[in-house]
Order: sequence, then structure tokens, then C-alpha cells
Amino acid sequence: MRLRNVSIAAGVVALASVAGPAVAHTPLCACYDMGDGIVLCEGGFSDGSSASGVAIRVLDEGGDVVIEGAMNENSEFEFEKPTGAYTVVFDAGEGHQIEIPADEIF
Amino acid sequence: MKNVLFPAAALLLAATSAQAHFQLVYTPDVNIERPGEVPFRLIFWHPMDNGHAMDMGAPEAFYMMFRGERTDLLDQLEPITFKGAENEAKAFAATATVRRNGDYVFVLEPAPYYEGSEDIYIQQLTKSYINKGGLPTGWQEPLGLATEIVPLNKPTNVLAGSTFSGVLLSEGAPVADAEIEIEYLSALPDLETNAAGEATVLKPMPGGAIVAMTDHDGRFTFGIPRAGFWGFAALGSGPDTEHEGKELSQDAVLWVRAYDFE
Repeated sequence: MRLRNVSIAAGVVALASVAGPAVAHTPLCACYDMGDGIVLCEGGFSDGSSASGVAIRVLDEGGDVVIEGAMNENSEFEFEKPTGAYTVVFDAGEGHQIEIPADEIF
Repeated sequence: MKNVLFPAAALLLAATSAQAHFQLVYTPDVNIERPGEVPFRLIFWHPMDNGHAMDMGAPEAFYMMFRGERTDLLDQLEPITFKGAENEAKAFAATATVRRNGDYVFVLEPAPYYEGSEDIYIQQLTKSYINKGGLPTGWQEPLGLATEIVPLNKPTNVLAGSTFSGVLLSEGAPVADAEIEIEYLSALPDLETNAAGEATVLKPMPGGAIVAMTDHDGRFTFGIPRAGFWGFAALGSGPDTEHEGKELSQDAVLWVRAYDFE
């Protein structure tokens, strides 16, 4: 039993080191229209780890980046609501991106 | 009829049902994605056998904890009449507004209830959890209640067929060798009618109450046999032992939600 556990643990570690530190958890992001022209996004990971520093991009209808930044120390990012349709991209690396279209912003 | 034939069994049933009071802090969906209003029903009941419901007095406290911040919900309470299968009883409805992602703990400190059959007061300090957006923000933290069960498994996401463990605390210290009573919410309260739904537990357990004991570190574990809401109650684990000149049983109650693995 003990040996098997060790080999499973080693496998997980190996996977993690290949795909980067975010492999063992799911990215989470939700955005809220604060009603005053500001949109607030909060991010995180399903294991409770912080999203501080994770890149955030706001794309316009054509997919061009109109706002770029990063989650702050509280795993939050605020931006002025663009006119027209837009999409928020929470980019924690390959396989850990979340796209939130404007109509899914609460 | 069976009880008439077996008076000992009847006695046992009477004794166990008197012990199986469970304070409910109930909302149907404990994992939510969207911000909004979360409805609650506070019911003092015998939920496993869809049995007798007790009149609740005005609670001493009802509040929500989110990231260490307390939001008082006492002024949200509305008196309702809950219709159980056996009788009607005074209960409460409330709504809480939830916006940000994370764990929300709902804490009820009810008024002590006088239980005539035992000539004691019962006060069940009760915790229920919801999570928004899948982000864990501290479900495993104690809240500093007089007595409480601190979950060791995420209480909003227990797998049916797995186990649930908790630690019983009294004034912050683990309580060894304490009895934890366990009940299943057999009939879900209907929020529209404030009545008990259809019971899914059809027979009483032949051995009475389901019980786990805490170990020397105050921990207990119970295998969760089916999906739904499971309640855990430690009786008399709190520091207060007297109310209005009578014995007080200050209990710790915790509710968890189990799901089938599909």
C-alpha cells in the first residue's frame, strides 16, 4: 500500500512539473457589473489558492484587446465597462483560461 | 400495532425520538453559481422520521459568515407555520443576499426550547453552508461558537458512499468521547407551501438513533450512505448548562449535503 501511494504521489508531482503549478486545480472567475460603469472580476482556484498576478484581458467584439491587466493581491480586477459587446479573459496559462462574455456578467 | 406487541420497542422509540430533535437551517441549493437571494427555512423538527415539529421561539442570533465577516440576518426573519407530517409548528423564513464567490456559513443560535417530556431546555447552535462559484474560502475554519462541529470534509460537496468527518469543539477545545447523533433529512421542506415533502425514509431504524463517538481528539467519522442532507448533533456539548432554573442542553448541529457520483 505504502509503495503504491508513493508512486501515485510521484506521478502527480511529475504531471504538475510538466504542466505548471496550476495543474491540480481548476481556475475560477466571476465578474459583476457594479452598476456604476465599473465591472469587477474576482478570480481564484478550486483549491483555494490565490489568483494574484493572473493576466486579465478585455476583448472587444472583434477580439482585439482593449484592456489588459492582472488580478491584484485580493485576486480582483476592476475595469471600466466598454461600450458594446465584450469578453473578459482570465488567463492563468495554457488549459487554464476562462472566457466570460458580457452577457454572462452578473 | 407492532409497538403494542413489543412494549420494550415502544419505550425505546419514545426515548430515541425525544433525543432526535434537530434544528434545521435549510436551503435547497447549497452550490450556487449566480449571485442573488438565497432562501432559508429555520425549522425545529424530527427530520429523519418526518416526525413531530416543535415551536421555535425568537432566535437569539441568525447570521452569515463570509471571509471572516459577519452579516446579521436576524432582521430578515419572518415567522411562518411549518406543516410537518404530524403537526404544525412555529418556524422562520429568511433570505440572505449572496454576491461574491466563496463559502458562506449560516449560523443559528435559537431560543432555548423547553422540552416537557424531559423537563429540560434545548438550544441547538446550528451551522449550514453554501458555496458560490466553487471557490473555497474557509469552510474548514471554526467560528468561535460556544460549541460547534468543525467539518473536516467540504460540507457542500460530500460524496454519497464516502465519509464525513468533523471535530467537536466546546469553547474552542476538542471534546473527547462525546456522542454525535446523525440524521437524514427524509422529507425536504417545500419552500412554496412551508410543508414537509414526501418522506424518503419509510421505516425507523431498528436500533434507534444513529450514533458516532468522538475520539480523544474530538473527531468523528460517519459513512454517508446516500445523497441528500445529513445532520450531525452533539448533545449537551456546550458550556451553558442552565436556563431559567432548569437543565439546559446546549448542542452543536451541523448540516452537510451529499451527492451521488454520476
